[in-house]
Amino acid sequence: MAFRKIDIDAMEEDAFGQDEIDSQEIGDVHSQEVEAQVNSRAQEVRALLQRGDNNGALSRSLLNPPYGRGLEVVKLKSTQIVMEVLNSTKTADVAQLVKNLPSEEQDVLMKYLYAGMAAPEQNSSGVLLAWHEKLTEVAGQGCIVRVITDRRTV
Amino acid sequence: MSTEAPIVNEFNLGPVSCHAFNHNRTELAICFNTNVVSIFRKSDSVWTLAWTLIEHDKPVTSVDWAPSSNRIVTCSQDRNAYVWTLDLASQQWKPTLVLLRINRAATFVRWSPEEDKFAVASGSRCISVCYFEEDNDWWVGKHIKKPIRSTILSLDWHPNNVLLAAGCADMKARVFSAFIKGVDKKPAPSPWGEKLPFNTVCGEFSSGTGGWVHSVAFSPSGDVLAFTGHDATITVVNPASGSVQSIRAPYLPYMSILWLNEKQIVAAGHDCAPHLFEHKGQQWAFSSSLDSAVKKADVEVTARDTFRRMDSRAQTTGSNDTEVHTHHQNTINSIRAFAGDRSDVNQYSTSGIDGKLIIWSTNNIATGLSNLSI
Repeated sequence: MAFRKIDIDAMEEDAFGQDEIDSQEIGDVHSQEVEAQVNSRAQEVRALLQRGDNNGALSRSLLNPPYGRGLEVVKLKSTQIVMEVLNSTKTADVAQLVKNLPSEEQDVLMKYLYAGMAAPEQNSSGVLLAWHEKLTEVAGQGCIVRVITDRRTV
Repeated sequence: MSTEAPIVNEFNLGPVSCHAFNHNRTELAICFNTNVVSIFRKSDSVWTLAWTLIEHDKPVTSVDWAPSSNRIVTCSQDRNAYVWTLDLASQQWKPTLVLLRINRAATFVRWSPEEDKFAVASGSRCISVCYFEEDNDWWVGKHIKKPIRSTILSLDWHPNNVLLAAGCADMKARVFSAFIKGVDKKPAPSPWGEKLPFNTVCGEFSSGTGGWVHSVAFSPSGDVLAFTGHDATITVVNPASGSVQSIRAPYLPYMSILWLNEKQIVAAGHDCAPHLFEHKGQQWAFSSSLDSAVKKADVEVTARDTFRRMDSRAQTTGSNDTEVHTHHQNTINSIRAFAGDRSDVNQYSTSGIDGKLIIWSTNNIATGLSNLSI
């Protein structure tokens, strides 16, 4: 079945490629702006966590995720902010926190959970799986499918 | 209220790729994922094979049956479409080749409401709008190309016979004008626009979460458009008010949608059951699953049985049930209206990968709701 490995788009002058999908789904990205956003978010989230407001910290950390290509460092940092919130939440509170989120933010949280699981050496898989279980109970398999189909990754 | 159980027909063990009924629902054209379309006829509630339509040489992707003119159109991965007419003298279906002028597979075909045109979707980033040219005694196609960027996966005609909705793998649903000079009369103005020359783009919509669009459908009046994609959302667009609402379903993606009336949509797909969405107040929302198949009661497991199973089959759990607890046992890929007119569908048919064709009554909806306890 060697023919299945042939890149037929190479023969196509006007292929529908990643660049076009990005500009359609994400628009222009200014990496410095995004970086500044993520940095200020990190401070706000930490302040909220110190006050013990995990609910607020979670919503704040899920705001304006850094979408687009060439933002690997910023994305990593953004994921770490969310991980801080997840790690500092008591297991008993997870279900209620997840339920409080609007459905758009549930989808974003699921993206971060998978981004976190992609780096098992940095993040605690146990914590992530606990959150994943509670989130799937609320948002269903549809939420997981949306993480897979959405080109706007974190 | 009477409970009408869904009528399950099993034609095949393999997948059903598409199906279409004739005007009085006594004949059924169905394709079992091959290059052949089989026509079954119903007599005494038994379906018997009456004809096979053999002309395509790659799998048939879509079939549609024009109710009034009794013509069938089929399209296939072989890049061709045929219009089939029943020759009354010989009682045989005769194919006529259609000039589609496409270089990739044809994916979807639908007759227009007036049955004087049909549209063929394809992988070559265009929709071929076909009409009969009297002078040449031939079906010819005109292409809608811009601004399509990828394969078209589904189509739906507006009741005015001019507007055409297309769901596309470039994550967009679009509404086009498929106005053909000499065939169509000038349509009345609608929320979609007033001046509608061929290939006018009347709207371009996306669910906002990516996902190629599996199915599009105009509401019975044609004033509202719904579409669903692989991101498991259903988006309802109302051009008059400018509202675009996306419902994020907690279930697996839907493959096909059908409007029962202006306030209810049925969607079905990878969850193997039709789901109902309703317009309540100002919003659309998921209402319920319409497959009330109950889980079979677990057979009481005795310790002796358990040990015997562990011994003979090395299984430790009591249940080795692989059956899905819905009528369909696999993905549903097509829903079509079966009885009632477009603005009030009483029955609809679903077919899918499990080889079943099921006819559902909308009576089930009312019955199902009355069984709900709060």
